Amino acid sequence: MALTLVSSNKCAGGFQKVFEHESTELKCKMKFAVYLPPKAETDKCAVMYWLSGLTCTEQNFITKAGSQLGAAEHGIIIVAPDTSPRGCNIEGEDESWDFGTGAGFYINATQDPWKTNYRMYAYVTEELPKLINANFPTDPEKMSISGHSMGGHGALICALKNPGKYKAVSAFAPICNPMQCPWGQKAFSGYLGPDRSTWEAYDATVLAASYSGPQLDILIDQGRDDQFLSASQLLPDNLIAVCSEKKIPVVFRLQPGYDHSYFFIYSFMNDHIKHHAKYLNA
Amino acid sequence: MDLYEIRGGGLGVIAEEAELQELSRESTAMETYNVGSPPSPTAAEDGSDGEEDAFKEGETEGEIILIRDQLQEKVAEMESFAGHLEEIFLTVEENFGRQEQHLEQHYNDVLQTLSQRQDESAARLEEEKKSKLEALYGQLLACGQALDASKELIETAQEVYRSQDKRLLLKTVMPTIKRIEEFAKDEVDLTLSTCLEFNTPLADLSDVKTMMDSINVVPAPSAPVINPQMPNSATQTSLRVCWSLFSDDTVEYYELYYRPVLEDTPADSTFTPQVSKVTLKETHCTVADLLPNAQYELWVTATNTTGISPASEKALYMTVPSPPVIKQRECSSCPEAALIRWESGNTNPVDSYTVELREMGADGTESSITESIVAVPTCQCLIQLQPGQRYLISVRAVNIGGPSDRSEPITITTTGTFFYLLEDTAHPCLSISEDGFTIFYGDEELPISAMALDDNTFTRCVAVLGDLIPVRGRHYWEVEVDDGTEFRIGVAYEDTERNSYLGANSTSWCMRHILSPSRHKYEFLHNGWSPDLRVTVNPVRIGVALDYDRGTLSFFNVNLEQHLHTFHCHFQNYVHPCFSLDNPGALTVHNSIEAPEYTFI
Repeated sequence: MALTLVSSNKCAGGFQKVFEHESTELKCKMKFAVYLPPKAETDKCAVMYWLSGLTCTEQNFITKAGSQLGAAEHGIIIVAPDTSPRGCNIEGEDESWDFGTGAGFYINATQDPWKTNYRMYAYVTEELPKLINANFPTDPEKMSISGHSMGGHGALICALKNPGKYKAVSAFAPICNPMQCPWGQKAFSGYLGPDRSTWEAYDATVLAASYSGPQLDILIDQGRDDQFLSASQLLPDNLIAVCSEKKIPVVFRLQPGYDHSYFFIYSFMNDHIKHHAKYLNA
Repeated sequence: MDLYEIRGGGLGVIAEEAELQELSRESTAMETYNVGSPPSPTAAEDGSDGEEDAFKEGETEGEIILIRDQLQEKVAEMESFAGHLEEIFLTVEENFGRQEQHLEQHYNDVLQTLSQRQDESAARLEEEKKSKLEALYGQLLACGQALDASKELIETAQEVYRSQDKRLLLKTVMPTIKRIEEFAKDEVDLTLSTCLEFNTPLADLSDVKTMMDSINVVPAPSAPVINPQMPNSATQTSLRVCWSLFSDDTVEYYELYYRPVLEDTPADSTFTPQVSKVTLKETHCTVADLLPNAQYELWVTATNTTGISPASEKALYMTVPSPPVIKQRECSSCPEAALIRWESGNTNPVDSYTVELREMGADGTESSITESIVAVPTCQCLIQLQPGQRYLISVRAVNIGGPSDRSEPITITTTGTFFYLLEDTAHPCLSISEDGFTIFYGDEELPISAMALDDNTFTRCVAVLGDLIPVRGRHYWEVEVDDGTEFRIGVAYEDTERNSYLGANSTSWCMRHILSPSRHKYEFLHNGWSPDLRVTVNPVRIGVALDYDRGTLSFFNVNLEQHLHTFHCHFQNYVHPCFSLDNPGALTVHNSIEAPEYTFI
């Protein structure tokens, strides 16, 4: 698959690049950001996938999250795709900021008019890794996933639905139980239809209850002063309760004073990269 | 008789003997040969005879060699005997020479004394003679004078008698007659004023006599010279003393005296330590049955038939100390170093200690190389070591007498960090297992009397500190708990407040587990503050990783290899691991574990 370089900037001793390509899953042009650490010049590196939240593109993470120094230190390639297909000209895609464009929710839609293009789950778990492994010096066995908010939800479900595929998983202020929160309900009913049983396949809390596979070690950071936490959009307690029950290892940190922004992500990005490095470089 | 003659003669005798032996051997050999040589009718006999021949020849050869060796031995013995005789002869000659000299000198002395005496007597007699002569001469003069006087008188009287002048005669006759009468009355003392005999007192020759007597007797010896203590000649209970005689005195035996030197001179000076005595012929002695690390005063006298020499100067010797005893429970280690503590093993101070270490191979063999650290002034030593090795470490105490025996060794393994608990700091309600690594907080109420009056124990928090080696580097240990144990584990400064709870102050950092009816709660406390954290799988084996350089203290769920939390703090001083139980329960400390890779990313 042909990749077009959109931009390249030297950063932290490596290179922060942005590429564009024709996506077969999403049936449109998609951009993604990839950070290549200094180690990539000589060796194969592990890959961490970062899934951004509502309204983001591939740009927010690479300009605001402060991930490059940590990635360079630990020799990890970080891939940050866009959050939804773009320019598909679907009616209603730009109506709300929490549904449609910029709000792919990392699922494979089953409902019209979304089902043709809105296949972010397949894109992130299948197409993108293939593309990355074919074009960059990667170790295909060493993959991990992380994300923020909607992307946090995406990271959790990708890891829970693909036991053993991701060597590490972490999330910043994830939507833990979309079936129970306004955002999730809006998105799922739009993309997946009214049958709630179809939503379960994309709900981290539900998936955790029936998870079986290699042991996970999930790190979750949550700002205490996050408005969406208090608005019951995120519902981490539900996930924690299930994980405690099922003995899925989770370390959940409630960070006082922090909100939902990239300032919060920036503050704890290093801890997350270290968490990933521990498993990717083992 | 010339020794060489003796020797030569002797050899000659031996040579003759040897010749004789040889001849006899030869003759027997020839005999056997002769026996074998006459031809025999059957071929078989021939062959066998020939064999016998060869066999017997071989035998005799062997015997010859044997005898030759014996003779050679004898020759050697004779030679050494002759050598000894020569030595003795020379010694005797020497001794005679010395005696001769000695006697000559002695006699010279006697003669000198005698002539001295003679001179003295002669001088005295001269004096006497002189005085006697003077006396007599005086007497003579007196007599002469008297004689002259009487002569004068007589002449005067005659003159008066002869004078014609009758008047003058009458005038002077009476006084003259008186004078003559008086004069006639005068008795003339005709005795000699001095006796003619000389007073010759018997000369006091008693000292000459003793001198003459002592010629036949050897003089008493002069004081021997005792040597100062030789290094490494002493043991814990014995001293090797040597002395010498710097004169030609003959000595029959020596007497060595010794007594211990007491530290303090007791007020009651009647208690003086007993003096022991050893009688011996050699000029050295190993005195045994002494106390270790003690000072002794020694002196020696030499005795022969004449008498005892004056005592030598008193020498001070010191026995070697007893070996120290390593305090197993107070030693700690980490991959780069070990801290060893010991008890002196001696009641009195020693000069210094020597620490010895030997590497041990994986198969249990000890390296032949011992590294020593000398001049250690106190009863502890921090030793730099290589990581991942096993060492046998022992200590010796050293004083001027030398080093003591090695103490019982301690085995140190430089894998991970190793420490015991500081049992002095334990809260009274905390009991510690035999092996020192499990702590229990029992249900029973402790009597008030058991509540510590000790400054060092925790009084509110049921806690104890660990004795971490004071080395700034990376340390790792694990703590085993069970699901229901409410604990606090972490690190604290040595002087952390004993009446405060771990984590509630600025001198301690700990992970705390609280059991509430609904769930498990985990806190990471410092200065009373903790981040808000939830953990879904309760750790039962917790890894604690301390990194002084990075200023981090991290906690892990070991079974999941899961990172729980990291404190970031620049530790000003050394910290100690701390453990407490908030409710009845137990926890076990696991040590000497190599830190897993993920703990120090």
